[in-house]
Amino acid sequence: MSVVDKVETTTEQREKLRMPRMSRRQLLLTIMPVAVLVCLVGAISIANPNFLRPASIWTVLDSSVPLLILALGAMLVILCGGIDLSVAALASMASVLVALWVPALEGWAVVLVVLVCALAGLIQGVVHVVAQIPSFLVTLGGLAVWSGIALVVSGAATIGVSGDTLAWTFTRLTGWNIPSAVLIGAAVVAVLGLVMLLTPVRRWLIAIGSNEPAALLAGVPVARTKIGAFIVSGACAGFAGVMLVGRTYSGAPTLADSLLLPVVAAIVVGGTAITGGFGGVGRTVIGVLIITVLRVGLSVAGVDPSYVQIFYGALVIAAVALTIDRSKLLFVK
Amino acid sequence: MAPARLGQAPPETGRAPARSRRRASLLADYGPLGALVLLCLTFSVLSPQFATWGNLRNVLDSAAVLAVITVGLTFVLMLGAIDLSIEGVMATAALSVALLIANTRNDIDLGFLAIVAAVALGACFGLATGLLSTGLKIPSFMTTLGMSAIGIGIATVLFAGVQPSVTSPAMGEWASGQWFGLTRLTFVAIGVVIVGLLVQHYTRLGRYARAIGGAEDLALLSGIRVRRYKTIAFTFAGAVYGLAGVMVTIQLGSGIVQAGVGQNFAAITAAVVGGTLLSGGRGGVLHSIVGVLIVTVLVNGLVLIGVSPYVQGAVQGVIVVAAVAITAWPLRQRLRVVK
Amino acid sequence: MSAPAEAPVLAVHDVRKTFGETTALDGLSFEVRRHEVVGLIGENGAGKSTLLKMLIGLEQPDSGSIALRGEQIKMRGIAQAGAAGIGMVFQEQSLIPNLTVAENILFGAEGDAIVGGMYRWKTLRQRAQAQLDKIGSTIDVDAMAEDLTFAERQLVEIAKVLATEERTNAEPVVLLDEPTSVLDRDEAEVLFAQIERLRTRASVVFVSHRLDEVLQVSDRVYVLRNGSSVAECVPGEVDEAELRRLMIGRDLEGSHYSEERQLPVQDEVRLRVRDLSVKGVCESVDFDLHVGEILGIAGVQGSGREELCRGIFGASATRGSLEMDGRPIRTSSPRSAISSDIGFVPAERRREGMVGTMSVAENITLPHIADVCAGPVLQRSKERRLADDWIERLRIRTASAAAPLASLSGGNQQKAVLARWMVSDSLKLLILDHPTRGLDVGAKSEVYRLIRELTASGVSVLLMADSLEELIAMSHRVLVMKDGRVTDVVDAPVGAKPTPVTVLERMI
Repeated sequence: MSVVDKVETTTEQREKLRMPRMSRRQLLLTIMPVAVLVCLVGAISIANPNFLRPASIWTVLDSSVPLLILALGAMLVILCGGIDLSVAALASMASVLVALWVPALEGWAVVLVVLVCALAGLIQGVVHVVAQIPSFLVTLGGLAVWSGIALVVSGAATIGVSGDTLAWTFTRLTGWNIPSAVLIGAAVVAVLGLVMLLTPVRRWLIAIGSNEPAALLAGVPVARTKIGAFIVSGACAGFAGVMLVGRTYSGAPTLADSLLLPVVAAIVVGGTAITGGFGGVGRTVIGVLIITVLRVGLSVAGVDPSYVQIFYGALVIAAVALTIDRSKLLFVK
Repeated sequence: MAPARLGQAPPETGRAPARSRRRASLLADYGPLGALVLLCLTFSVLSPQFATWGNLRNVLDSAAVLAVITVGLTFVLMLGAIDLSIEGVMATAALSVALLIANTRNDIDLGFLAIVAAVALGACFGLATGLLSTGLKIPSFMTTLGMSAIGIGIATVLFAGVQPSVTSPAMGEWASGQWFGLTRLTFVAIGVVIVGLLVQHYTRLGRYARAIGGAEDLALLSGIRVRRYKTIAFTFAGAVYGLAGVMVTIQLGSGIVQAGVGQNFAAITAAVVGGTLLSGGRGGVLHSIVGVLIVTVLVNGLVLIGVSPYVQGAVQGVIVVAAVAITAWPLRQRLRVVK
Repeated sequence: MSAPAEAPVLAVHDVRKTFGETTALDGLSFEVRRHEVVGLIGENGAGKSTLLKMLIGLEQPDSGSIALRGEQIKMRGIAQAGAAGIGMVFQEQSLIPNLTVAENILFGAEGDAIVGGMYRWKTLRQRAQAQLDKIGSTIDVDAMAEDLTFAERQLVEIAKVLATEERTNAEPVVLLDEPTSVLDRDEAEVLFAQIERLRTRASVVFVSHRLDEVLQVSDRVYVLRNGSSVAECVPGEVDEAELRRLMIGRDLEGSHYSEERQLPVQDEVRLRVRDLSVKGVCESVDFDLHVGEILGIAGVQGSGREELCRGIFGASATRGSLEMDGRPIRTSSPRSAISSDIGFVPAERRREGMVGTMSVAENITLPHIADVCAGPVLQRSKERRLADDWIERLRIRTASAAAPLASLSGGNQQKAVLARWMVSDSLKLLILDHPTRGLDVGAKSEVYRLIRELTASGVSVLLMADSLEELIAMSHRVLVMKDGRVTDVVDAPVGAKPTPVTVLERMI
């Protein structure tokens, strides 16, 4: 007995071409985040007109960059239907490593740390693909391992960085007074955006996220694409860790740990479905802006920072509930 | 409902050839016990202090809280779901029991009722998780990730920068007492394990949770109210985490936000290493408890042979991935989709 | 057989059901009398599935009535149908693998075996045992369902249906949906004996595509076509050929399958398969596939033919050797098979064949994306031209090449999936797993025509099809498989096509 046959004939006889239901959903997922962002900015500028002055805009953008870089990497993994829960812990580890290595290696420490974190991503990706273990579990295990490494190499202490090796990550460029971090963030967005726009990578990610068996049978390099997403996610986490060290002048084994939830929140709030197959760089940028502006808004409204966690928790649940593609979940586990 | 997929159980349990599935389940049933024995033997050789009565008591006492948590988690895992909210629920429970019993922060003293209230609060968290997961159809790992943040947030608000210490003399006296050389909390844990076993074997909740994890579509078709039993399982688990939060507060004598730090991952590790598979429908309370002992012995043994305590988490991370890899290895197929 | 005067146990009257603009059931009436075995036959899409689903409450009729023992009933869900005394033994089986036999038999209807939420295992076992005793089975009530053989599980399902007796205090109606499709001959005989036994305490509806079996076990047979009952026959008065004619309702001419375009096969061997095994499903298969040949593979479910084809395409692990145009090849993944110029159209189009949210063009270029790339850069205009070209050549009806593939009708989706392989000039072998499943007659004809065109250009085809007729009409030769082995190869030249019965005899 098969329902499939029936459904097929139904669509078969309906000869007139109709737009699928999905596209309305996609439209909503595209418009909503932008609308939310505009409303938020509007509301805050009414409450505090200074908010729209260039200086405060630059400050807000500047503060969003580490989150942006983390979210861009993690978004790639979500796009192909997985999740990377290790990004925040990996960024913490990166902060410790960069703080330890800068004295000896100077600027090369940054390159090395990003490579090490890319390797961490590679390991997670390979374990996920080869052993066929759910990505959330692999990266949860990874989270524990990277935190452990960070704790051990730092001796559970904060490591200060002196000198100006990392000053380029947190400075203002003369003349326009543009924060360097914003340019760096823009560069990461541009590189990822161009790769997604010009190469078949985006198509592979979406095919895998939408229908992995079909992608496999159509010859999409599924394993390579997935592992690649994890590698980029790891590298981004490493780079975000470096950016954080640049502004705090120190690395610590739990420096970035609290960023995990904002990262997930930013990605889903931007309209990328946690079920995969739908999303992108632009959406993630919007999502990160929403989260950042919200944080500013909460402090403008005088909300106690203790409530911020509660807020993020509720936001993640709400955003996932709104953006999830339930047609892909036969059973919600 | 998806009658089209009738009889087609989730890939983890269903279509794998019977032989490799049986090999996998045999491994899951007896592998952990073997691993526990092997671990004990290894540490006995490596450290003279390991195989002593004192250390055995030590291991059992330090396994108490994790054992309680893992009993709750087992029912969630049995459904094929996951729970990442343990740290948040424990934090809220720890703070609320500390603030409701005689303490240094306020004049409230509900006595034993404070414990009941904290457990009930935990159950509320579980209920909320269950309703959100089943009602809004959000995968449990996302719901519970959010709930955990909410729990930690509430605990932070309750904490308000001043640590509440428990001043109840009765509580202090009870907590410091021992029976047969073991702390009383250890017996609480044993009680919870027994209750867990009874629930698993003799109640609708236990059997239906197993059925839902085994073949959710078929359970639905058979008229089982799947959403209800899922919600009940999350609620039961939440109550148990609440109790664990209370136990930590009793041990420490004060309520802290970090009451459950590290426990979520330790519990998942324990359950998985014990053979309660993340895919649902397999294993059970007894399996999970073997896992708890493995994790506790490992931590204890590593400390005894002088490994940095900071490595603990990393070791758990490696073994949980390895354990899942080993149990899932026979089920691998070229076209198997794992997200 | 019961006396005609007696009221029927189950009476379905003038039931209609439409899905969207498709009529699944069109004024269907039929009845089942006490202690009777009623056979139900019909082609795919004739309405059997919908009818069965309606009888167990998974679908509701739009109009018409269902009466059980003289009373009109409305059922929502299997549980309610069970409470009324109608139960189904599912083709794909519905036992929960990790529960015991006893729990499964009474699952969801434990009654006094659960008191206040607590299981009373002893009562549960006794009551389950009583059900197994009814069918004379010796299966252990404490065994796990997953440890039983397929035939054993089927018996447990029958016991489960019989368990409704106690609740309703009436004899149940047992629906058997293709119960023999995965049984071997001996197991099927045991099942038939069981049906005879069942007849003394229940009424049975037997759905099967094996006409000989239907004739063997049924008292009466209803033939369904296009959603209504076109004939009611008594075995002994009709033969298989007559039933088949009633089912199809028309004689299919060769032109439907473009038979006149079947070209003679060239001598050159395209694919040489030697000693190919897929672990656990098929064993040392040998065959040669010639250039431009359509080789049909016939076999029942469980014959291993699907797995064999997936193995050749690299979707499952194989042992043995493959030679393409005289050169040995290894297909360790679909990707490597594609680079050896093999294409594959899976049976479950929605699940495995296409990415519905992606556009028609994106779906067409997915396997050979390198062809529309300059270095790593995608050339969208080139892709668009290619897609437009193939949309025109295959007459794919779509709003544009940029429309999501899911927005097309089934037949057009399938043409796009075929196009994905046809764009490659070097395609040598195309594996088609039920390429016309779920398509209407017109769309089927078009797909057949496309397959013929492909072979005319030298592509070789491995074909599996829904019906034997289709398979034989399309193929140059038919490879017959049974239990994972090749049992025969039947020649099927134009004008001298073998009858389905000839092939069927070797299949089962």
